Amino acid sequence: MRRRFLIIAAFIASVAAPGCKKFSADINVSPNSPTTASNAQLLTAAINYMPVVIEGISGALYTQQWAEKPYTDDSRYISVNFDFSGIYAGPLENLQAILTNKTFNINEGSRNNQLAAARILRAWFFWHMTDRWGDIPYSQALKGNDNLAPKYDAQKDIYYDLLKELAAAAAQIDDGTGVTGDLLYGGDMSKWKKFANSIRALMALRLSKMDPDRGKTELAAAVSGGVFADNSDNAVYVHLADPVNQNYWYYVADVQHRQWYWISKTLTDYMNPLQDPRLPVYADPAPSTGAYAGVPYGLDGDSVAKVTTSKVSWMGKHVRAQNAPCYIVTYAELLLAQAEADKLGWLSGGDADAAQKYNAAVEASVRQWVRNSFKGGVVDDVEKTSYDPNDQGDTTGLGVYLAQPSVTYDPANALKQIAYQRWVHLYMNGYEAWAEWRRTGYPTLTPAPNNNNIPIPRRQGYPSSEPNINSSNYKSAVQAQTGFGGKDDLNGRVWWDKP
Amino acid sequence: MKAFFLGILLLSGGLLVARDSNGQDLDKMTLSLQLKNVSLKHALRKIETLTSLPFTYKTSDIAAYTNVSCEGTDIPVSHALDVLLHNTGLGYEQVNSNIIIKKVTVANRPQSVAGVVFDGGVKGRVTGTTGEPVSSATITVEGSNRAVAADNNGMFTLTGLKPGGYKLRISAVGYEPLIAEVLIKDDEVASFDFVLRAGSARMDEVVVTALGITRKERSVGYSTQQISGSKLTVAKEQNVLGSLGGKIAGVQVSGSSSASMGGTQKIQIRGVNSVTGDGEPLVVVDNTPISNTNYASKNGRDYGNLAQDINPEDIESVNVLKGPAASALYGLRGQFGVILITTKKGSKNSKPTVTFSSAATIEKAGNFMPLQNIYGAGSSLNFETVTINGVDTKYVDGSWDESWGPKMDGTPVRQQYSFYRADPNFGKATPFVPHPNNIKEYFVTGRTLNNSISMTGGGQNTTFRLSYNNTDVTGIEPNTYLKRNNLSFSGSMNITPNIVATVDLNYAQNKGQRPSQGYQALGSRNMYQWFERNLDMQKLKQYKYPDGTFYQWNVNDPNSEGVYDDPTPIDWNNPYFDAYENPAHDSRDRTFGDVGLRWTVIPGLSVSGFVRQDGFTQNLDGRNAPGGRGTPSFWIGKYQSKEMNYEFLAQYSREFGDLSLNANLGGNILTQRYDYLQEETQGGFVTPGFYNIANSLERPAVIDYLRKKEVRSAYGSVTLGYKNIYFLDASLRDDISSTLPQNNNSYLYPSVSASAVFSELLKWRPLSYGKARLSFAQAGADITPYLTTGYYNLGQPYGSTFPMEVPDTLNNPNLKPSLGTSYEAGLDLKFFENRLNLSATWYHQNNKNAVLPLDVSGTSGYTRSVINAGNIENHGIELTIGGTPVMTKRFSWTSTFNVSHNTSKIISLYPGLHTYQLDYNRYASVDMFLLANEGEPFGTIVGNGYKRDQKTGQVLLDAKNMPLYESGHKLGNVLPKYTGGWQNTVTWRNFDLSATIDFQSGGRFLSWTKMLAVKSGQAAETAAINDKGKNVRDDPASGGGVRISGMSSITGQLVTTYVAARGYFRNTLGSKIYDPWTEDASYIRLREASLGYTFSRTAIPSFPFKSLNIAFIARNPWMIWQKAPKGVNPAELATGASSLNWLETGQLATARSYGLNLTISF
Repeated sequence: MRRRFLIIAAFIASVAAPGCKKFSADINVSPNSPTTASNAQLLTAAINYMPVVIEGISGALYTQQWAEKPYTDDSRYISVNFDFSGIYAGPLENLQAILTNKTFNINEGSRNNQLAAARILRAWFFWHMTDRWGDIPYSQALKGNDNLAPKYDAQKDIYYDLLKELAAAAAQIDDGTGVTGDLLYGGDMSKWKKFANSIRALMALRLSKMDPDRGKTELAAAVSGGVFADNSDNAVYVHLADPVNQNYWYYVADVQHRQWYWISKTLTDYMNPLQDPRLPVYADPAPSTGAYAGVPYGLDGDSVAKVTTSKVSWMGKHVRAQNAPCYIVTYAELLLAQAEADKLGWLSGGDADAAQKYNAAVEASVRQWVRNSFKGGVVDDVEKTSYDPNDQGDTTGLGVYLAQPSVTYDPANALKQIAYQRWVHLYMNGYEAWAEWRRTGYPTLTPAPNNNNIPIPRRQGYPSSEPNINSSNYKSAVQAQTGFGGKDDLNGRVWWDKP
Repeated sequence: MKAFFLGILLLSGGLLVARDSNGQDLDKMTLSLQLKNVSLKHALRKIETLTSLPFTYKTSDIAAYTNVSCEGTDIPVSHALDVLLHNTGLGYEQVNSNIIIKKVTVANRPQSVAGVVFDGGVKGRVTGTTGEPVSSATITVEGSNRAVAADNNGMFTLTGLKPGGYKLRISAVGYEPLIAEVLIKDDEVASFDFVLRAGSARMDEVVVTALGITRKERSVGYSTQQISGSKLTVAKEQNVLGSLGGKIAGVQVSGSSSASMGGTQKIQIRGVNSVTGDGEPLVVVDNTPISNTNYASKNGRDYGNLAQDINPEDIESVNVLKGPAASALYGLRGQFGVILITTKKGSKNSKPTVTFSSAATIEKAGNFMPLQNIYGAGSSLNFETVTINGVDTKYVDGSWDESWGPKMDGTPVRQQYSFYRADPNFGKATPFVPHPNNIKEYFVTGRTLNNSISMTGGGQNTTFRLSYNNTDVTGIEPNTYLKRNNLSFSGSMNITPNIVATVDLNYAQNKGQRPSQGYQALGSRNMYQWFERNLDMQKLKQYKYPDGTFYQWNVNDPNSEGVYDDPTPIDWNNPYFDAYENPAHDSRDRTFGDVGLRWTVIPGLSVSGFVRQDGFTQNLDGRNAPGGRGTPSFWIGKYQSKEMNYEFLAQYSREFGDLSLNANLGGNILTQRYDYLQEETQGGFVTPGFYNIANSLERPAVIDYLRKKEVRSAYGSVTLGYKNIYFLDASLRDDISSTLPQNNNSYLYPSVSASAVFSELLKWRPLSYGKARLSFAQAGADITPYLTTGYYNLGQPYGSTFPMEVPDTLNNPNLKPSLGTSYEAGLDLKFFENRLNLSATWYHQNNKNAVLPLDVSGTSGYTRSVINAGNIENHGIELTIGGTPVMTKRFSWTSTFNVSHNTSKIISLYPGLHTYQLDYNRYASVDMFLLANEGEPFGTIVGNGYKRDQKTGQVLLDAKNMPLYESGHKLGNVLPKYTGGWQNTVTWRNFDLSATIDFQSGGRFLSWTKMLAVKSGQAAETAAINDKGKNVRDDPASGGGVRISGMSSITGQLVTTYVAARGYFRNTLGSKIYDPWTEDASYIRLREASLGYTFSRTAIPSFPFKSLNIAFIARNPWMIWQKAPKGVNPAELATGASSLNWLETGQLATARSYGLNLTISF
């Protein structure tokens, strides 16, 4: 009897004993996800996010490159709050993991090159964000549990630090092996260096109104450091003809079958009379008329319903092709920037150099957009010949176009001409076009009609989650920005957007 | 042959303790009486009450004396009796403390009391109406403490009764109690057989508690409610959890439409007990925990919760342990309560009994939303034109999936089918006319066949039960079905007289092809949301043309030759295309059960060991066929789950005079392994129409998932009883889980409860039973594996480059299990021999430290951080009132009503966090949240609402007199205030009628279907006649328009005016304002009903069967009342695995079933 109790007691003891608190070491380690990642893989993931940012629709609507039909809410500035948390938690956190990594596999590029590429990309994402929202978390961002509610840094400080970062990153690039996992340049570090300088030059130009001195210095330094010198230098994300890496607009047009986004009448009205050779790439002819006719911008729902589908132009087959390239930063932009810098006296070339750069920019833009590979044709909305950085492009019609009186370089009108060319060139890169519209005031745009006089947005509202989860920092940021008038809406001006 | 169930031993042990009493001298006992012209019976009862002396008499002997009197102060009892019995021919004699009143004859003079030994008794067998032994029966001698429990065969013996007339009360869980008068004679054991009628579950006897330990109901210090299996199969509901609906106080069952054939039935006990809204009770069958996972999501197929694999016909009883007090012994798994299911078993020495039952029902779709039939597809009253061969031609624009278009007045136009070359109307304009019943016509009549057979019996040392069930359903949506087979075996064998081996084996097999629910998930509900009133369902039914093209209606414009270049649908497929080209399959093989040994070491002490297993393999697939919207694809998933429990339990019970002790000590090792492999084709097919992953055009997407977990537990409990009146109960469990951080992975869960059967003290006759109870307990909930370490996410390849990402959720190495703490008090009362009973419970529960992914600012690099947080408080009352208002020989009516009220409050969330986002929905650029707000009840719906004038509360109107709106409005609380049910059983001769009503009061939800039916111009109100007698779609300038009142935000004046219907319904209400679509979920529903007739051999000796019952059954036949608009079903809002029912995005059509059920016993 007693022995039986002992058996029971022993059993219970064996279950409850401290020794039984130990499980095999790997029992709570997930077999479903890797516990380590290589820097090359993190770099690829970060680059993958670049087109996600570019292919956002709002910038292209604000600048009236595109128009909506039949749903026109976004064209009428209904959406106020836009989310940036995906950029932080996505590519920036991946880049942060590279930057804080303690080990570097030199088969994935030299340590310096890995760090430099990560810093350049990081700068590009932050630049994109601060231009859209204004002040954003920067110095305290990306620290995980160490700071779950980072403060917002002033755009000025962010700009200065990013300019410094870009210069340092360009300088950090060494002769060691190039980075792997590089979807932009395939590990060609000389191109990364040009990329860093090019971003720095474009950022510098953004300061033209608010901080011209700093802008001038930075732009000159960047240009002399070596910016893009050919379309083959362009930072391009080439989509693939597969569902994972395909063009977002292919997805909208061909998978979702949503005929919601059309070229805007504002843009076709500008391009049509000038016989712009890029227009047939930008848009398809209207089915029943064969003309390039944009959809009138920003009509209300009842009015837009009266626009007959067969009489307007759908987005061009090359820009919606499944394997279309996504242009991130381009040679033509750098030429336009240099032309403007000449004009501003930031560079010393004067009108002669400005005219030369301007003409070269238009040519580079046409060569970029009208590609020889298009002759291979589009089959089921897939380019038969995929993007080749060395494709010199088709300049048919360029001469006629440049000869148009309003296109031909005119020293008196140069800043406007440069800005209009930028607007046309930055098709499919709406946020950059919008930033330049805010800076230069060109093109001249009329807000969506019959819309209670709501003006064209000058920034985007912070994510609607921030007031809840980063409340005090959010509030201070809104108050701190003098151009906001105390409101987090679409009408506030970011620091560099001087009235 | 012995009964090994400890509970029974305990019961008989406990009840057999007769009160020790000595004969009292009736001459010395005095009392005061004021009895005038009362019946003798009344007088004797009065003396009985005053003196506690038990009287025994034949009612017939004393019935005649209705007018006796006896008055006096402090008179001896003997004197009082002499006065009362004077001239009655009756005498009394005292036997120990009993006083026997009997006729006095010369031959039977009262004998000398001293030295005479009386040794009478009664024995017999208790069976149910179908002849099955009632092993749980208790036989009580009314008015005494004598009682005995029947053995496994229903046999009982009760001896030591003095001669005389007795009332025996025979009762058992799940049966109507029976009162029988018996006459006991000297030296004779009378033999009686009693037949109990299955009845409502009366909790007055033995109940199954945690770990399957059976206990006397009176000893349990918390609320228990037990439902017998027969109550669950009345209307042959397929999902056993669904059949609990409305039957148990405090248990809310929310289901989905039975159109999904065994779809989700979700149980919530005592409100929401986690700030995250999660937490469903553990389901246990014969002590084996089984998976109740749900694979369904809001959009897609509702495969239902997996507890539906239990065959309802196998269920003996279901006990619901409501929260920690009852389920503390389940430790880490007990926080949200436990559903304990006990299956039927065979019994020893019984002839095999075969029961066959067969049910056939038909299902009809019901609850159709009222729609308008005046206006067809389009966006304005004028037909759109398309240029065909150079001619602008009127046509129906297939891209408009709404009905704001021209009048369907028969105007000839080019309709969608006219742009298909293979259509007989190709190139022709046809009349534009309404098809008022187009949605109704889509549904078909479903049918369900359910056949089951069971065999039960036992030998000298063995018992067995074998059952088989086959269910075959075809659904109310075309081309849907479910086939199910259940096989189960349970048996026991005495290896030696002291060692018994038991086995329970269950096998379930399901094969289904189900309809899809939700939004844009290939479902039929979309027809209320986005559709055209002019579409002809008969035409759509011919969805495939002879040339192989599919007829789709929601397509972009035809080309300039009037042909669809690309008839790929934009947002909606032809519903028949989905039904026939896009079937989805699910199948599951499941086994669960246990084997065990129980060894009775010495009487009172037993040890047992069990191995328990639950495992399934489930295969799912789905497809998107070429010709439909989106990229053609095919996906499969194989899911395997296995849980093993190795259990040891020692049980000890002993009586020490007035004290009783019952102790349990146990240990358990749990291992779980769950894995799945999901694969989906990418980019389309190599060979269209061949559904195989190998046919993927691109590298298929694969998820290869494995999860393992182990929990080691030790536990013990002690119950102390005093005089069978007072009970004290305590338990403790320690759980060590592999999912927790190694240095902090052991947690203790205690419980204490007490009960007192105070009716024994009161001795107030009308109160047959009264118990007060009180308890405190804690139980936990384990965390999911792999939350304590970091990892990376694999990306999809770019060519040969593979990206990898830092996940957006930050794991936490310091997590701990969540904890529920509850206090409970209650009262169980039974009056007038159980003719009326009442049970009331008050509870208070705090649940803390839920594991939740806290939303953090994405700027930290992570959007979520996993933490322990929150304290949610629930308190409430549960009330069950039951009784048998009418009980005559031929007619009886039993009724049970239960209602519960729960109040919840979020006490705290996390430092600095005052709002936790439970769920989120964005539609048409409008955000909608379900929030847990600190200081508020759980589950606040927040979204766009009317902007109102702060002073007057008037809706503000803009310059065009359209209502203004603003975001962040509180639109109500998702949880109901009251839930409950009402069950009735009426029997008259051989007829029996039973019906269950369930109800809910309060709780709000957003009906997407209603909103979109209005937005898309389909709902009836969008083409109603206004108070000027004009259609609201007519121009407001000419008397049309929707009448609207409010305050102009421009002038500040109150205005009543008329606005254009489309701008109002489509662009304002339907797109921007959620007040009108936030519905109240209150309802009263007749859930099930059955009317049957029983033929039995007892009545017709030549009848070939022991009994035969034929019944008309109905499931969900009638929504008696609902607050939400017609067409939306507030009782069927469950949407698969999501824990809260706040968003209806496309529930399946309500199905009503009617049929016949036949049950035969051999």
